[in-house]
Amino acid sequence: MNISGIMNKNIIFLGLSASSREEAVRAMVDGMTREGYVADQKKYLAAIREREGKGTTGIGYGVAIPHGKSDGVKAPCVAYARLAAPVDWNSFDGKPVTSVFLIGVPEKNAGNDHLKILIAISKRLMHEDFRKNLEQAKTPEDVLKVIQSIDES
Amino acid sequence: MKKLLAVTACPTGIAHTYMAAEALQQAAKKKDVSIKVETRGSVGVENRLTEEEIAEAHAIIIAADMDADEERFKGKPVVRVGAGEAIKAADQLIDRALAMKASETAATQSKPSDYVENVQKLKSERSAGRTGPYKHLMSGVSFMIPIVVAGGLIIACSFLFGIYAFQQEGTLAWGLKKIGDSAMGLMVTVLSGYIAYSIADRPGLAPGLIGGALSSALGAGFLGGIFSGFLAGYLAKLLKDKLHLPKSLESLKPILIIPFVTTLVVGLMMVFVIGTPFSMLMNALVDWLKNMGTANAILLGVIMGAMMATDMGGPINKAAYTVGTALIASSIYAPMAAVMAAGMTPPIGLAIATFASKKKFNREEKEAGKAALVLGLSFITEGAIPFAAADPIRVIPSCMVGSAIAGGLAEAFGCLLRAPHGGLFVMLIPNAVSNVFLYLVAIAIGAVVTALMVLALKKDKTQEQLTK
Repeated sequence: MNISGIMNKNIIFLGLSASSREEAVRAMVDGMTREGYVADQKKYLAAIREREGKGTTGIGYGVAIPHGKSDGVKAPCVAYARLAAPVDWNSFDGKPVTSVFLIGVPEKNAGNDHLKILIAISKRLMHEDFRKNLEQAKTPEDVLKVIQSIDES
Repeated sequence: MKKLLAVTACPTGIAHTYMAAEALQQAAKKKDVSIKVETRGSVGVENRLTEEEIAEAHAIIIAADMDADEERFKGKPVVRVGAGEAIKAADQLIDRALAMKASETAATQSKPSDYVENVQKLKSERSAGRTGPYKHLMSGVSFMIPIVVAGGLIIACSFLFGIYAFQQEGTLAWGLKKIGDSAMGLMVTVLSGYIAYSIADRPGLAPGLIGGALSSALGAGFLGGIFSGFLAGYLAKLLKDKLHLPKSLESLKPILIIPFVTTLVVGLMMVFVIGTPFSMLMNALVDWLKNMGTANAILLGVIMGAMMATDMGGPINKAAYTVGTALIASSIYAPMAAVMAAGMTPPIGLAIATFASKKKFNREEKEAGKAALVLGLSFITEGAIPFAAADPIRVIPSCMVGSAIAGGLAEAFGCLLRAPHGGLFVMLIPNAVSNVFLYLVAIAIGAVVTALMVLALKKDKTQEQLTK
């Protein structure tokens, strides 16, 4: 699964201001809708919320990977946001979240693509250089470049 | 270089299984240690550890918040933590695993266990020591046996109502026979499938099963099934290991390319090349067995009987047992009778010997004798192993002679056994055994011969040895 291929610079938000995880996710879904990835916001948001309800997606290192498989999503996509201020995500390591990857996959997609994307990102997060590069990326183009390193690994 | 293994698993954490795996791999790389990590996460089990890898490993790290199938690591040093620990402190975990000594856990494992457990251990040790084609064949046989046993015993249950009761459609006997026949129909299919599975893992299963089903359909029987299993397994493994495809096509390999190509090749081989000669061979074998004179039948019983006792649960024993069960599927019931009688006598004979003599067995062995009796009556030949292992030169020949006599007598008495297992219990089912009374006589004579021979060969123990 080529992750950088399903991202685009218009759904990469650097310095997104949000006061809660709900607000952060909502802003990102808005972006996905504008870019034509999402047809039915309500349905997709419900899927994300349902997943968050089952257990946190804050996997540690200040990163959260919320995700939803829903027929509100038209095409697989990944949005990224660096938050202006950390928000609480009830994370695994207790730290608030500053980086959010939001994964959307259409319901009709066979298999578990959303999990594979999630796994690829979280594996890469275990590498310090990846975390540093992601933190230091100044433009959406930089972020895309960092993400490409997942696909190449 | 020390080799480490790890398993990571987490039931709820979305990605912790994989993060823990990655962290361990990184930490091992830093220390220049080789590690393989099995992940049990949201997409199933990946990178599964093999038996050989476990046997070779210095230690195993289990970073899991759920069951990680730990039985398989019995006797190995294990470091056990939650998945989170591996993410946070992978370095220390690697150090801890490297510092484990093989003896640490081995010592706690070898505490004196009771008799039945000991038999189990000897069995599993022996299967761990198997390698190559023989291991694959045994693996296929071990998957097949439960099917044969279930099916055979259910058919035997239908005989409760009379041997031909199943011909009356709609009756319970008819239903039981149908169930049993379905099971027996799967026998060769499963044998072939799991030989291939043992060789090539999952990609081998489909072609193996299909090859086995073809073998049944073509009348090539278990001989054809063994052949198709090996062919499918080695071909699938060859494709798996040697066929390199562009990355985009690689994921199609296990689900499309290997099963398709292997099944096609195996199927065509079975239908056009192998099927006919093997089915002729099977027919010849079946005809020969059906029309065999009494003298030959007794000779066959003697040989199969001796085989059952040669290595008790080992390859020679399993060869005789497999032939016996396979022939049930061809409606030939005499060899199975010889096989079961001969398989029951070694533990029973040894048990009788321990009961009869005060001087030749120590206290522990006398206790073991009681357990051996139960195992023998249940047709678990392995019950004799601890005695055989302690004193092979005297015990094994005694067992072989007793078993050969039991097998030969069972044939001479014209006993037939329509179920592939069950020991004394199957004899309680009317009609499952023909000539039940004489069958019991054959077993009893064999067991007594074994007992007498053991007693004659074994020397008296000293007073000190007796109380041990």
